[in-house]
Amino acid sequence: MLELRLVQGSLLKKVLESVKDLVNDANFDCSATGFSLQAMDSSHVALVALLLRSEGFEHYRCDRNISMGMNLGNMAKMLKCAGNDDIITIKADDGSDTVTFMFESPTQDKIADFEMKLMDIDSEHLGIPEAEYHAIVRMPSAEFCRICKDLSSIGDTVVISVTKEGVKFSTRGDIGTANIVCRQNTTVDKPEEATVIEMNEPVSLTFALRYLNSFTKASPLSNTVTISLSSELPVVVEYKIAEMGYVRFYLAPKIEEDEEETKP
Amino acid sequence: MGIKGLMKLLADNAPSGMKEQKFESYFGRKIAIDASMSIYQFLIVVGRSGTEMLTNEAGETTSHLVGMFSRTIRLLEAGIKPVYVFDGKPPDLKKQELAKRYSRREDATDDLAKATEAGNKEDIEKFSKRTVKVTPQHNDDCKKLLRLMGVPAVEAPSEAEAQCAALCKAEKAYFPLPSHALGIIIDKYQMRKSSYTCQVYAVASEDMDSLTFGAPKFLRHLMDPSSKKIPVMEFDISKVLEELELDMDQFIDLCILCGCDYCDSIRGIGPQTALKLVRQHGSMESILENINKERYQIPDEWPYKEARRLFKEPLVVTDDEQAELKWAAPDEEGLINFLVKENGFNIDRVTKAIEKIKTAKNKSSQGRLESFFKPVSTSAPVKRKETAQTTEKGAANKKSKAGGGKKKK
Repeated sequence: MLELRLVQGSLLKKVLESVKDLVNDANFDCSATGFSLQAMDSSHVALVALLLRSEGFEHYRCDRNISMGMNLGNMAKMLKCAGNDDIITIKADDGSDTVTFMFESPTQDKIADFEMKLMDIDSEHLGIPEAEYHAIVRMPSAEFCRICKDLSSIGDTVVISVTKEGVKFSTRGDIGTANIVCRQNTTVDKPEEATVIEMNEPVSLTFALRYLNSFTKASPLSNTVTISLSSELPVVVEYKIAEMGYVRFYLAPKIEEDEEETKP
Repeated sequence: MGIKGLMKLLADNAPSGMKEQKFESYFGRKIAIDASMSIYQFLIVVGRSGTEMLTNEAGETTSHLVGMFSRTIRLLEAGIKPVYVFDGKPPDLKKQELAKRYSRREDATDDLAKATEAGNKEDIEKFSKRTVKVTPQHNDDCKKLLRLMGVPAVEAPSEAEAQCAALCKAEKAYFPLPSHALGIIIDKYQMRKSSYTCQVYAVASEDMDSLTFGAPKFLRHLMDPSSKKIPVMEFDISKVLEELELDMDQFIDLCILCGCDYCDSIRGIGPQTALKLVRQHGSMESILENINKERYQIPDEWPYKEARRLFKEPLVVTDDEQAELKWAAPDEEGLINFLVKENGFNIDRVTKAIEKIKTAKNKSSQGRLESFFKPVSTSAPVKRKETAQTTEKGAANKKSKAGGGKKKK
């Protein structure tokens, strides 16, 4: 028996909107501690890890660990039917091959039940080691979103480099080049508008903008985004979900091959 | 060719060891391809109508070049890094099988002559396909083409499949590779730069004996034309063994019983019986002791031990003898000289193709997550319907046979 009641139903709607374009099908894992998901995109370049801790739910009942395979596109379709102020309850019976989403309007005068078929999904669970990152950048999520969008109109890949001066995003395409530098800036009125750079070592990595653009769909979830970089490791782009958990995106870097290899 | 009936046997008895995969999902992977098998396929399929083949001005066949060129570009465009492995000298045990193939080809040549006389179009096509033979000239042409395209080609000392498997087995050695790792040497610089570039992920062939040679991952239909829209079938030997409840030695015995290229099978024993016998008795020796000799006649000279050794310890190039695998930029001038001037290819097509190879090179630099994070558990952690699934085993089997999706309807 599973019953999860989320007062701020719009959160779940936003979560789904942020991951559904990256991943088609995924297993949601429910345990006593929380509701989580780990899934890779079909090309195994990017990975999304979602955690909604049990404390964030108004009511959380999960008798035994279960894994529910869902088509995220279909799930998003159903959640779109929920109003932004609605309370969403996720329900599943033991051994059932469906899951029910219940939407209650805040005034309790409308209750909707949507039942969705589950799927069996073979998925590989990757072990992600806790790593010390060379550089961690925290910046307004809207700013990061804008940068990725702007750069993708010029080129396909972005070089993100962190130095003492700040974080630099640069790209190059057929029509020319673009460089955007964000300096550390903590003297702002609101803490969420700050750009904070913690750097142990300078790093410079190349990524496909297509994926970063897809990650920024999670911007509505949080005002700030944290980008953690280490050379030779995937970048982590994290959006915190207030008092509940996070959506983290991992993206494998592009690796420039040896100069001598590219020569005939 | 390969192991008789193994494909069906695995589909029935080890469905979870095989998965349908999208062609695109292999980007960034290194894949060892059995070149001789591919060339053979190209000669049969590419640009054929009746007995007519694609030829250059001198009248030499070019089907293999057309096929090799376009399929390799397709692989490169998908970000796959192919390594072609060519057959060397066949093992002595295979001579019998080769002689059979030779005589079949002779028969086909006779049939073809008759069919041509009778003017039966279908028969002409059927028999002319059967007369196809891969000559050393074909192999050399393809090697030259690959070199110009910047794609590595490896010459196997003996069977290509065995060499492919050896390249792929090196993948098992976790990074950093110990110095005795099979097949590939990497210099330290490259190792530091990109850990993942040193691993051959899978073997692509149509011959099922790649599995018997111990390829950890084996792909079928990778080289099929895209127009056919056949998904790639990926076999995972460890899952196959798990589900068959056999170890690798027993699996090799099973394949020998099914019928391989190296010795005859026993009359009356097919794949199903073979599986039953191996499961029951555990090894070939014990099967031979316990089997009903009246019912099953074991051939007088049955070199199963030698065949077993060929599968277990095939002649392959290992270690330092093996040159580093490199994917280089294409030699444009060389390609145009070879394909356009010598073999009558259309110059526009070749220049366009070269452009494709160049753009594809950029794409292949994208890393995969598995190069950084290792899988911890492969199957779904907790089954929702554990009890229901065990009781409905038959139904579950059927479902998974239908494909990887297994959607609940």
